Amino acid sequence: MEFVIKAEKLTKSYGSLIALDQFDLSVGRGEIWGLLGANGAGKSTAVECIIGTRKADYGTTAILGMDPQKDRKKVFERVGVQFQENSYQDKIRVSELCETTVSLYKNPKDPKLLLHQFGLSDKLNAMVSELSGGQKQRLFLVLALIPGPEVIFLDELTTGLDVRARRDVWNRILDLKENGLTVVLTSHFMDEVEMLCDKIMILKNGITVFRGTVPEAISDSPCTKLEDAYFYFTEGRSHNENV
Amino acid sequence: MKTFRTILKTECKLSLRGMDMFIFAIFMPVTIFILLGIIYKDNPAFDGAGYTFMDQSFGAVSTIAICAGGVMGLPLVVSDYRKKHILKRFQVTPASPILILAVQLTIYALYSFASLILVYSVGVIFFGLHLKGSLLIYLATYLLVMISMFSIGLLVGGIAPDIKAAGAAASILYFPMIIFSGAPLPYEIMPVVLQKFSDFMPLTQGIKLLKAAALGSPAKELFLPVLFMGATAFLCIALTLRFFRWE
Repeated sequence: MEFVIKAEKLTKSYGSLIALDQFDLSVGRGEIWGLLGANGAGKSTAVECIIGTRKADYGTTAILGMDPQKDRKKVFERVGVQFQENSYQDKIRVSELCETTVSLYKNPKDPKLLLHQFGLSDKLNAMVSELSGGQKQRLFLVLALIPGPEVIFLDELTTGLDVRARRDVWNRILDLKENGLTVVLTSHFMDEVEMLCDKIMILKNGITVFRGTVPEAISDSPCTKLEDAYFYFTEGRSHNENV
Repeated sequence: MKTFRTILKTECKLSLRGMDMFIFAIFMPVTIFILLGIIYKDNPAFDGAGYTFMDQSFGAVSTIAICAGGVMGLPLVVSDYRKKHILKRFQVTPASPILILAVQLTIYALYSFASLILVYSVGVIFFGLHLKGSLLIYLATYLLVMISMFSIGLLVGGIAPDIKAAGAAASILYFPMIIFSGAPLPYEIMPVVLQKFSDFMPLTQGIKLLKAAALGSPAKELFLPVLFMGATAFLCIALTLRFFRWE
């Protein structure tokens, strides 16, 4: 099987703190992988090491068969990234942010269509700073989709969205998956993970404590729900076995 | 090229919406020049000089925009974009650092040329300003001064760890250069000690060149300032490219 993303033994420490320990990930085309874990467990570090915005101390990473640091421009022509924090220039309008993003790519998608799909059509001339948290979140998802990516990285995709918007975003992601989009996302929401992810990885202090499907996570634990299984893997087994 | 134009257009709009560069690079130099004009009228630069005080001041005043944009505006915008993680977002696109920096350089170059044209026009129309040297040489010199000053700004913006450090560095560079280089306060009337100190600033050397170009002075003793400015530009640009950080 050809892997769209292949990370091997990625290790990163900040001072004496090991943020990520021998992280392995092999993602096939059209798969959705979810990274779970508490804040500080290493999810964002894992994503950043995979996409090369952080240099791992050890290990290798390849996206679409290329090194994202050496072949940065080629890789990000075909890869979209939504970071956890939305960053934009002061006093920039939605239309301007879309226009500059479009100009960076060879074959961009029409931002107006994407804005429409994410319910932002009427915000085209608004200042980005005036959007609500959920609207910003959707706007940055639109920006990540402008290259028409084959692979997309979503760091806390639906944080700040209301229930309706969350469901709409999930449906869009599932549509795109049907067309072959490969997704790596991080999430704190078990319903989101169950809805979207083919495979999950649970991280604890930078160490991968579980890898597999959602049903496997449940069957590997004494629990019946993913959330309980998640606590079982992240908070020590003995503690949960007593519950 | 299309990418460059689109980003330039947006960044120009953002810069104008910010207003501060409009004030410091366009409004301030022409105001200073008008004030000097009102005070000195068409008096000669000194007794027996073949040119007026305004002719002599033009070179210095025309660099205020370069200094405001290059040493103040440029480092602050680059470090602000880094702090806000805007550069990091560009890092995960096919954009190159050179593209981002080139856009900002172009914006501040546009401000500088706009200011130059404005100050020159006001001088010619109201205060009898007369360029004795060649306009072409003046423009070439102006460009050299701009490149070397902007390269200093790029270096500060490119490697400053955060916007506070960039702001501090920019102020340390900007205020002494603008005060002692002879922009608001003519170099010629400064005490010799201050002149000696001021000679170490690239802007002072640049202004000497511009004055020579404006007054049509013979080209003697100009080799050293040219070399000094060129070396500054080369060193700063090399360091910027070597140590550029997205984050």
